[in-house]
Amino acid sequence: MIITKLVTGLVMIWVVASATFFLVLAMPGNPAAAKEADLINKGMSPQNAAKAVAAIYGFIPKKPLIDQYGNYVWQLLHFNLGQSIAEQGTPVSSIVASAFPWTVILALSGILISFLIGASVGILAAVKRNTRTGDTLTLGGAFINGIPTFVIAILLFYLFTTIWAIFPQGGNVSIVYTPGWNAGYIGSVISHAVLPVIAYVLAIVGGWVLTAKASVVSVLGDDFILAAELRGLKPTTVLRYITRNAMLPLFTILALALAFLFGGSVFIEDVFNYPGLGQLMINSINTKDYPVLDGAFLLITVAVIVANILADLAYPLIDPRIRR
Amino acid sequence: MTVALAPEQLETGLRRSRQRTARRWVLFVNTPSRAISAFIVVLFGLMAIFGPYLYPANLPINANDIYASPSLAHPLGTDFEGVDTLALIVTGARYVIFSAVIACAITVVLGTVGGLVAGYYPRWAGSAIMRVTDFVLALPGFPVLLVLATVWNFGSLWQMALALGVFGWGGIARAVRSQTLSLRERPFVEAARGLGIPGWRIITTEVMPNVAPFIGMNLLTGITAFIYSEVGLFFLGAVPFTGSNWGVMLNNAVFQANAVTSTRALAYLLSPLICIMLITLALVTLMNAVDEFFNPRLRRIK
Amino acid sequence: MTNSTAVSITDLGVSFPTSSGPAHAVAGVSLDLPRGQITGLVGESGSGKSTLALSLLNAVPAPGSVTSGSVEIDGVGDVLTLKGSALRKTRGAKIGYVFQASQNSLNPLKPVGKQLLDLGRSHGVRDRRDLLHRARLLVEEMGLDAERVLASYQHELSGGMRQRVGIVFALVLNAHVLILDEPTTALDMLSQASVLEIVQKVHSERGLTTLIISHDVGVIGDIADRMAVMYAGRIVEEGPTPSVLASPWHPYTRALLTAMPRITGDVSAAKQLPGRPPDLSSIPRAGCVFAPRCALAEDACTETEPENTFLADHRFACFVTARETAKETTA
Repeated sequence: MIITKLVTGLVMIWVVASATFFLVLAMPGNPAAAKEADLINKGMSPQNAAKAVAAIYGFIPKKPLIDQYGNYVWQLLHFNLGQSIAEQGTPVSSIVASAFPWTVILALSGILISFLIGASVGILAAVKRNTRTGDTLTLGGAFINGIPTFVIAILLFYLFTTIWAIFPQGGNVSIVYTPGWNAGYIGSVISHAVLPVIAYVLAIVGGWVLTAKASVVSVLGDDFILAAELRGLKPTTVLRYITRNAMLPLFTILALALAFLFGGSVFIEDVFNYPGLGQLMINSINTKDYPVLDGAFLLITVAVIVANILADLAYPLIDPRIRR
Repeated sequence: MTVALAPEQLETGLRRSRQRTARRWVLFVNTPSRAISAFIVVLFGLMAIFGPYLYPANLPINANDIYASPSLAHPLGTDFEGVDTLALIVTGARYVIFSAVIACAITVVLGTVGGLVAGYYPRWAGSAIMRVTDFVLALPGFPVLLVLATVWNFGSLWQMALALGVFGWGGIARAVRSQTLSLRERPFVEAARGLGIPGWRIITTEVMPNVAPFIGMNLLTGITAFIYSEVGLFFLGAVPFTGSNWGVMLNNAVFQANAVTSTRALAYLLSPLICIMLITLALVTLMNAVDEFFNPRLRRIK
Repeated sequence: MTNSTAVSITDLGVSFPTSSGPAHAVAGVSLDLPRGQITGLVGESGSGKSTLALSLLNAVPAPGSVTSGSVEIDGVGDVLTLKGSALRKTRGAKIGYVFQASQNSLNPLKPVGKQLLDLGRSHGVRDRRDLLHRARLLVEEMGLDAERVLASYQHELSGGMRQRVGIVFALVLNAHVLILDEPTTALDMLSQASVLEIVQKVHSERGLTTLIISHDVGVIGDIADRMAVMYAGRIVEEGPTPSVLASPWHPYTRALLTAMPRITGDVSAAKQLPGRPPDLSSIPRAGCVFAPRCALAEDACTETEPENTFLADHRFACFVTARETAKETTA
């Protein structure tokens, strides 16, 4: 079982990597070939030009397709994602690697906080369903859920950096602090992270509330809850039974939520000028820095796939019905 | 145990079921929030259909009146060229709404067909189709669109709808498939198969009606998701502008007018935002109504 | 309440609000459960028998509510007046309830043993090792391997095993009243037989007062000392089981028994009862609830609800039959 999942995951990563390869070839004007021609025009010898382009894109244009593809995959296996066009000579892997942690900090905090808040509100809404409190909470959840991520990001930014200048206007940390485990730096990182994290939380908390509520309502209808009550179990015990059973389906959505968050990172990092993978993707599109774009996209996709695999592997640990 | 119904019982039964259906329609728009939501949806629908006809093809520019505040002449202010914001909203509605609806139609068709086939023939077609949808669903949707945008400029209405639709049918296919799978095991489907009724016939007459509610619900969520995606694409500047629409307005407001760092052009920034929110909220409310309509258990007896 | 009655239900009424008015799941039901005996309750689906059973625990599900009557239980008082932790402690400790769907009456995420401990904790049982010991004895009595069962999750047990575990949960706190709601439905014939055997065994060993609910007359006829027949929320006939089976007085009981095919004799002798069980909100507002389907119905039957007629300790509610039996006794 584990092997199947791992293999499936690897296959998916391979498919995505190959797709990006073919995507570059499909791009209008075949930038790789164009670059090569350009370099030759500027006086570079054909072999050097070919090598230069290979360094950037990971494969040598004009060679047979199989060769190109093989080259590309070989480079990938060595974690060589090519070189940035915008920042000449800088390896894509290092650019992407420095942006990755920032996105991860925000995304993980966002998921954790939104899950805690969303699940609790959802449970409350379910227990108090058909009352005013429950209905308001449900409506609130649906309301927030319906607001697109970029709307949330824009509004938050506008309200809390312009109208009420509480938080810094974008960026991830103030440059006055030296990076490291010191209070000033960490404090600045946190203060710059607050608004984006709130944006992430608001983006998905609605979904958690609705899903948690639906799950709890469904568990409330289960026979064993009624049986527990008829056997005289304490209300706190029954609540524990309900919660543990209701949270199970939510776990399977965790990986999905992460995928959604990574998708949303594009908006949030753009609005808040946060140097993570999302902003990297946008900037590389604008500067037509395709190797960086592909590298960032690949990393995001790999992260999501890995998260999926981890979630799949962890599930049997919490649900005894799936254990073998 | 079958029981023969006397004619009078049959009539009473029919009359009662007609009364029930009538009562259900009343429940559909029974609360004020639902009535308002229905009104909003209709309003924007009309805007989408008739909007561009209400204004000239090239909206008048007024260089003296850039980023004006709301006034009688311009109820929502003006944009960076002095064009009336209200005009922009009304004419911009068509792109946003039509492309979302068309994309939705595409996903419904592809998803339903895919899901039905995958669910009804789980062994060969099923796993193949499911592998594809699982893969597409696992990818973070929006970045995929971004990368796609680099090779294919799907800025026009139909192309946008196509791009969104082709990548968005996974969810519906999944839901339809699981429903089809469970229906397949039900006695009435088994009976039909035993009678030798061809597969496609069973699918259309027995399975589809039961799947319809899911599709209906997904339709509404789909429209909101697609509006979100396309506005997002324009907002980020990932897709070139062809004419004006709400996403373009947002992009201009935030990145050209710097509307988020200053208080000018507030109306220009907020108008498309509020419209988007209104539509999505209205659709979400109606979705709850549709859910109740198909799920009598959710209804409350006052 | 006399010493020989453990549970006394008096004039119980339960109704549910519907869009076409209140539906009376139980109406004017009076029933005594004699101490130490097994009473069976028979009825079609929708006759109100499960609702009746739930009201013995004051557990009628919302939006339904008890509209009249009392349920006096020996050692507890009127259950319907209990609330909060007093009610909670009665459930399980004084009255044991075995589920209709015992297939899913346990928390799927916890092993049986842990759930027994939860039960003990909730009822303030100090010596929990003793509780587990008693539970093990009960499980062994049911013919199961105690260690294995206590360590198992629900999905690792078969249907028959789950049913038996349900009985263990109902009795481990030494309740003296036991209610079994459809204990044999969803079981195969062999499991049915062994579950009924077990029920009889624990009943007599512990001197319980047992109420068995079933739509299967055969099950009731097998082990119940007394039997009551329910239709549309009312008890239409009640008496010692042999008496009711041998000479049913109420037309519904007669039809029920006639509709059962027997192994011996002609299968076609079994006759169907025409019509359908009543839709609770469309029960005739006046008169006998069975009148629309009754072959003996007269005008009087559609005007007033029949009173109970008593013949020794066998009672029934029907005008027509009452008249005939009166004729017989006076003749």
